[in-house]
Amino acid sequence: MRFKTSLAKDAKHSELVSCVAWTTSEELYSCSDDHTILRWKLLSDETTTLAKLPSDVYATDIHFFPKGLGGKTKQPQADVFVLTSTDGKFLLISKSGRVEKSVDAHRGAVLSGRWSYDGTAMATAGEDGQVKIWSRSGMLRSTLAQTGSPVYSIGWSPDSDQVLFTNGKQLIIKSMQANAKPIQWKAHEGVILKVDWNPVNNLILSGAEDCRYKVWDSYGRQMYSSHPHEYPIVSVSWAPDGQLFAIGSFNTLRLCDKSGWSYALEKPNTGSLFCIAWSGDGTQVAGACGNGHVIFAQVIERRLEWKNFEVVVISRKTIHVRNVTNDAKEKLEFRDRIIKTSIGFDHLVVATSSQCYVYSTKNWNTPMIFDLKEGTVTLIVQAEKHFAIVDSAGIHLYTYEGRLLSSPKFPGMHSETLSAQSLCVSNDTVAVRDKSDEKLVHLFDSATSRQVDNKPLAHKLEIVEIAMDQCGPASDRHLAIVDKNRDLYLSTVRNVGKPPKIVKLGNMISSLAVNDGTNMLAALQDSKLTVWFYPSVAYVDRELLPLTIMVKDASEFGKNPQIVDFLGNHLTIRRADGALVSTGISPYPAMLHDLVNSSRWEDAVRLCRFVKDQALWACLAAMASYAKELNTAEVAYAAIDAADKVQYILYIKELPLKDVRNAEMALFCGNSQDAEGILLQAGLVFRAIMMNISLYNWDRALELAVKHKTHVDTVLAHRQQFLDSFEKKETNKRFLQYASGVEVDWDKIQTKMETEYQKERENPNAKPYSK
Amino acid sequence: MADEAVAKAGLHFDELNKIRVLEPEIHQQTSELKEECKEFVDKIDGFQSIVGGLIEMVDSLAKEVEQEKMKAIGSRNLLKSISKQREAQQQQLQALIAEKKTQLERYRIQAAGLQKEEAEQNEFIEQFILQK
Repeated sequence: MRFKTSLAKDAKHSELVSCVAWTTSEELYSCSDDHTILRWKLLSDETTTLAKLPSDVYATDIHFFPKGLGGKTKQPQADVFVLTSTDGKFLLISKSGRVEKSVDAHRGAVLSGRWSYDGTAMATAGEDGQVKIWSRSGMLRSTLAQTGSPVYSIGWSPDSDQVLFTNGKQLIIKSMQANAKPIQWKAHEGVILKVDWNPVNNLILSGAEDCRYKVWDSYGRQMYSSHPHEYPIVSVSWAPDGQLFAIGSFNTLRLCDKSGWSYALEKPNTGSLFCIAWSGDGTQVAGACGNGHVIFAQVIERRLEWKNFEVVVISRKTIHVRNVTNDAKEKLEFRDRIIKTSIGFDHLVVATSSQCYVYSTKNWNTPMIFDLKEGTVTLIVQAEKHFAIVDSAGIHLYTYEGRLLSSPKFPGMHSETLSAQSLCVSNDTVAVRDKSDEKLVHLFDSATSRQVDNKPLAHKLEIVEIAMDQCGPASDRHLAIVDKNRDLYLSTVRNVGKPPKIVKLGNMISSLAVNDGTNMLAALQDSKLTVWFYPSVAYVDRELLPLTIMVKDASEFGKNPQIVDFLGNHLTIRRADGALVSTGISPYPAMLHDLVNSSRWEDAVRLCRFVKDQALWACLAAMASYAKELNTAEVAYAAIDAADKVQYILYIKELPLKDVRNAEMALFCGNSQDAEGILLQAGLVFRAIMMNISLYNWDRALELAVKHKTHVDTVLAHRQQFLDSFEKKETNKRFLQYASGVEVDWDKIQTKMETEYQKERENPNAKPYSK
Repeated sequence: MADEAVAKAGLHFDELNKIRVLEPEIHQQTSELKEECKEFVDKIDGFQSIVGGLIEMVDSLAKEVEQEKMKAIGSRNLLKSISKQREAQQQQLQALIAEKKTQLERYRIQAAGLQKEEAEQNEFIEQFILQK
């Protein structure tokens, strides 16, 4: 990936350009010390003077009122921008160039002015060291902070509740709440000149006079620090989707990945780049040059790889596709600018500024084409049968035939801040992490966009990343959750009214990926690469969990690597320095998944016998137990020396009724409630009571007995036996109450129980488990 | 005698017996002086014109020298700035080279990773064949 820069032959401004801002992805405003605001129309390549400012106004910063908020209010105010100047004022100027308002804001120059993302407030910072908050119409609300040195740059937090500002070499995050303690840290060795806080990935970028740029998380932890450059870093800017950022310095423009490493460096003849702004679609940047030029730089040569295909966006409207197995090359031309591309599941999806093209990897000649309502696509997420397109209007699911399937949404959804970490798509379910309450994940049915179980999934901590498995029936859908503490949890998705079962799989997770073809899960965990061959084992037999994982040393991937994808048996990992490293896992677990999915249990056992691997046997044991395939489970448990489990399975196999066996298997998996439900549904009250007795769940056993008016004496007798063996007295009031009214005769109870078992055996449906 | 009397009155007669106020001797000297003065003035005039020509010449020469000097200074500065420009260019190119080098290093690591995986897969295939 690199920048393709273009500079006009002659400078359009006569003095240095101090700031630039995009209105649409095709129109730019630039302010200069020659007191003019120029409007650049990129489509027609025209430059017109929008306004001439008074001769004492030297612009320092310009920021447009956030877009997309006009949607519900439709106020003309949406087209206002703020321009700060060195004479201590800020001006509110309409898009047509009329000065709506001029406000005295600071003593000395106003150095920066930024609207909050929700558009309710604006923050300004000045040479007098103050940070002030203003209302939308330019009325002073409060002075947020007072520091001893000029505040060069400010930024809003994604939730618009905190403001980040510079104070010499320090960065400070201060909340709008008056009594909240500010976060403050020393960030650079020199004065910090520019900061930017991305709303999508929640990362902070800073550039300083020590000639370095650094990336921070919102707690002030350093994620990356660059090597020193030749000149101070004067401008930094995040791309809207938070995947890239640009750095400006003297005669220097750099394109970097969000983890900090640099994709490309350009050395244009621009002087210092005082300001960099990304266009709304994230395809190009504009830079304000010290020599009066405005530089435009297009991001080109984005590369995508999937299996044997290599996709490169070589220019604004052209994509090259190469099949590396036979070196067949295809050149795809588009009418409009390419905004997003995504390849996966045998399909290439390309979103341009007006249309969406869907290519099958088998046929590059006839794409499915459909029109996009809203121009700027911010994200494409693919699943096997359909894909999601995210734009400012919401999430839209399309099939690969180009048919709109559904548009899931919930109140308060901010689709523009969604990323691949907060939106997951599978064949039947869509999961979206809530931005306003990060503990919630909203789950939708793909076909109907109805909310699954009518309420969002709630976790006990803030969630930072989600991933959903792709295979198997919808009822087996699982969601992997990484929370703020970097713990990994697995949750069931379709619970039919019951609370979701959330189990913990691991901790210190730095990156997560789900396999595309099977339900395997890979994660980087504390300098180790861990692959869960069958994560659902946690619901079947937790003891097997440590057996069904593969742990590989991740030290070869360096510090802080990220998993890019997990296709088939290959894992692609990106090191912190940007290098891609691939590593393979054993092909057997995927084979086992395939065999089990097609219910070829004998073949699965044969495979395990051939491979002779504990992990594989453990996977098979769990899969067989889950599918209630007792013979296979018995073999598999025997292979991993779990004699107790084999015993229990043998006992289950002897049981005469299918429902009882199912209940016992549920019990085997530790779901006593499910087991009881199965028994009661089948009318096997006696079994349910006995189960609760053997679980020492006395109250429930008695409750059932009393409710169904049967075996009250059995419960009482067992309770008595239990108390006797511990030489204790009855203290439970309910038992005391019933004990007084019921006569307990152990022999009679024994015969009664025996008749129950007899009855079960004589049941017309009684059929022993087949071999 | 008569002469003496006339002399007393301040008058004199010359050889041509014309009446004169000055003594004829002095008169002669005066006219001689006048002649000499005239000669002197002519000479001075000649000198003036010669010196004027010289000054003009020297001035033009000075001008030319000045011009040449400026030219020399200019070209010397140009030379200096070119070396500076070269330095800046060199620096820029060096930065670009460093960038390419890191990219190369990334590719090298990627290639090494892929080769390692290939080796692993070959080993697996071999083992698989042996087991059969």
